[in-house]
Amino acid sequence: MTTRLATRFKACAEQGRAALVTFITAGDPDHDTSLALLKALPGAGADVIELGVPFTDPMADGPAIQAAGLRALKAGQTLAKTLAMVREFRAGEADTPVVLMGYYNPIYIYGVERFLKDAKEAGVDGLIVVDLPPEEDNELCLPALKAGLDFIRLATPTTDDRRLPAVLANTAGFVYYVSITGITGAATPDADVVGQAVARIKRHTGLPVAVGFGVKTPAQAAAIAAGADGVVVGSALIDALRGSLDAGERATPATVPAVTGLVSALAEAVRGVARAAAE
Amino acid sequence: MSLEIKICGLSTLETLDAALGAGADMVGVVFFAPSPRNVDLATARRLAGHARGVGAHARVAALTVDAEDEALAAIVEAVRPDLLQLHGRETPERVAAVRARFGLPVMKAVGIATRADLGRLGAYEGVADRLLLDAKAPKGAALPGGNGVPFDWALLSGLELRVPYMLSGGLDPSNVGAALRLARPSGVDVSSGVESAPGLKDPARIEAFIRAARAAESEAREAGTHEITGRPADPNPAGDGLPSQPDEPCVVTVLNSFRTGPDENGHFGIFGGRFVAETLMPLILDLQKAYEEAKADPAYKAEMDAGLKHYVGRPSPLYYAERFTEHLRAGAGEGLGAKVYFKREELNHTGSHKVNNVLGQILLARRMGKERIIAETGAGQHGVATATLCARYGLKCVVYMGALDVARQAPNVFRMKMLGAEVVPVEAGAKTLKDAMNEALRDWVTNVHDTFYCIGTVAGPHPYPAMVRDFQSVIGNETREQMMEAEGRLPDSLIACIGGGSNAMGLFHPFLDDPSVKIWGVEAAGHGIPSGEHAASLTGGRPGVLHGNRTYLLMDDDGQIIEAHSISAGLDYPGIGPEHAWLHDTGRATYISATDKEALAAFQLVSKLEGIIPALEPAHALAKVIELAPTLPREHLMVVNLSGRGDKDIPQVAEILGTKI
Repeated sequence: MTTRLATRFKACAEQGRAALVTFITAGDPDHDTSLALLKALPGAGADVIELGVPFTDPMADGPAIQAAGLRALKAGQTLAKTLAMVREFRAGEADTPVVLMGYYNPIYIYGVERFLKDAKEAGVDGLIVVDLPPEEDNELCLPALKAGLDFIRLATPTTDDRRLPAVLANTAGFVYYVSITGITGAATPDADVVGQAVARIKRHTGLPVAVGFGVKTPAQAAAIAAGADGVVVGSALIDALRGSLDAGERATPATVPAVTGLVSALAEAVRGVARAAAE
Repeated sequence: MSLEIKICGLSTLETLDAALGAGADMVGVVFFAPSPRNVDLATARRLAGHARGVGAHARVAALTVDAEDEALAAIVEAVRPDLLQLHGRETPERVAAVRARFGLPVMKAVGIATRADLGRLGAYEGVADRLLLDAKAPKGAALPGGNGVPFDWALLSGLELRVPYMLSGGLDPSNVGAALRLARPSGVDVSSGVESAPGLKDPARIEAFIRAARAAESEAREAGTHEITGRPADPNPAGDGLPSQPDEPCVVTVLNSFRTGPDENGHFGIFGGRFVAETLMPLILDLQKAYEEAKADPAYKAEMDAGLKHYVGRPSPLYYAERFTEHLRAGAGEGLGAKVYFKREELNHTGSHKVNNVLGQILLARRMGKERIIAETGAGQHGVATATLCARYGLKCVVYMGALDVARQAPNVFRMKMLGAEVVPVEAGAKTLKDAMNEALRDWVTNVHDTFYCIGTVAGPHPYPAMVRDFQSVIGNETREQMMEAEGRLPDSLIACIGGGSNAMGLFHPFLDDPSVKIWGVEAAGHGIPSGEHAASLTGGRPGVLHGNRTYLLMDDDGQIIEAHSISAGLDYPGIGPEHAWLHDTGRATYISATDKEALAAFQLVSKLEGIIPALEPAHALAKVIELAPTLPREHLMVVNLSGRGDKDIPQVAEILGTKI
């Protein structure tokens, strides 16, 4: 069976361009705004959606995504509500893949089997769980693959050639290359260095390689897109969202357009690289 | 920890099935041409696949004898064993090299005939993941093992190794029970003892062996302890021809060891593990390797010992708290009122037990060439200890501390700055220890190239819980000796406060296999468990995953971590070390809790009665001593870990008591 993720990356590749992967936190700043934003992302040019599952202690995230998670939790977001959001999104959108990204504890407490069943039924395509390295594959990765969900692994600058096979062994959907050693939204990656790293990973796998952490502007996205199968933008979208909130951190009519506007600019930039390459 | 049973030298699917069906934990395949049990790669591969198949959970050991790298590589490639068993004359250096090259756990077999042979074990303890104590091959024997000859198991009584060991050599269904009553291995290994002829495994005998071993195991568990004093009648049916040592009384405690954890993946039962981002994984594996190497290096040990003696000021005294004891006896019934000793960790340089661990980690960081040290701190004791040793060794030091803790532990913040450390107040979340740890992990993931994360407690990803425990075990080891000197026997109970649990684990661990020693851990109950405002993860939490390990955590129904509360910044953490979680679940230790109010009362009482101002953290343990000691007999010897001194708490306590200073 071809998965939504495989189909989407293949379609982008056939257009000779990288996929734009967008990250938002589920329930940020509130459930309804977040759902409206989720529904608007494909139209704005998002090829793949990463939906952050809020957690009180996001050890790998920078201040922007930490704050987004806390806003969502304060507004009452739970893992069950996040799955319900995907279900509702999926009712109107059959093709854009949705990947849940977060930390293990909420899933562990929800119950791994129950979670996999509910996520699959809701229309989730893949999982990125930051604190589950290959050493803990029995926890969720192997059951997820069995349940038909892609388990997307992070590869990092510290993942050397010796370790890479272990990291890639049970990875499916795509490989998420973390372009810097650091947290989300921190330093800006050097496109040349990233390009070499992507090439190194592609020597070990046939899966698409998407690059994220620290990509903020359309120009940076374009530079990364030249050497990767996908570009992930997260913190910059969250910053745009935060900038649209009122003093009480509540959504305003400007909130959804603030994010989709940036997504459109990013999409154009990423597609622009394809045109340049095709000419 | 349950006894691990290994059936070795399997060569057919039928006998493998018999072993798996009877519940073997590990199966072995032999790669040694002269052996009748030798198998080729294809057969081994098929057997290993079968052992790992649906419904089977046995691990696969590949046995080799002085094999070269090339042969080992072929075996690893074809069979993917879980463990390499080296059964020849491999030197410790060779064992280390094999382990490093193939990244697999290694079990080294060592032949034992006399007590002198036990001396050879030390060299392998640091390099092998486990040992296999086998009978020495008879002179002229063609095979190094599998000769069906036992050795004097009583030699192993009281044997303490830093790694788990399996017992082997001449075991069979009829004698495995006796062996387990004499020695306390983590597992047993059998080959010829379950064969009908050399190389021919007998399914019925395999089943009988496993049944007998399990029976001996549950007998030991039910008995709790089973002491045999004096020389057993006939422990050595085969005989090594040597008289046993008559001057050493043989006291054998049959109990499955609580001291062998964690396993090679850092698990204590279901707890522990390595739940970290991929960026950190290679570092954590490096750290584990560096620690294993350091442990085996006499130079490292010598440096540690010298530092503990001359810089830290160890050993710390074991002090009979006479007035405190008498005060509690005054309110106790006739014949009641335990004799209370303080283990004076507050007398260490920097004022708490934290320095024991920091010294170990800083010396390790130096070996690894790291020049920047980061740490998280709650009460500031770990931060101060880290800043101190960084000053001593000229290393850059950054300490993360929750903004709330910065405010309530001002003296320690100033001390850290005096020592040259940068203190970063963490404004995220509840602004306490958990948030400081998040921020330290974020720093580490960003600065992996030059930074060493010095974790202050027995938590975090493997190897931290085991490593910090090892460094803190000096507390319990000294207590053991000091109590023998003072009273001529072991203490009857131990009690210590628990946030993450490092001072407690350091005191407890050396006594875990002494069933006569009762163990109490005291969590912080804050405003009381029913209030929901507390830091008692075991009493009020459940298993989850945070900060690199699975353990008991305070959380809501959605798996979101709940902020802890305690008067003591050092206990204000919503988790607990994974080994404590395991000791809690196995019942070896009992965990209770003390409220802010009880701790404050104990803080004041002990100051007045003993002239010792305890930190608010051990004041929680003292609060429970006040409760427990009067219920225990006068001859009961109780040791409380006085893990830190209270100077740092003076401003906070003064404020609570309404005194302006």
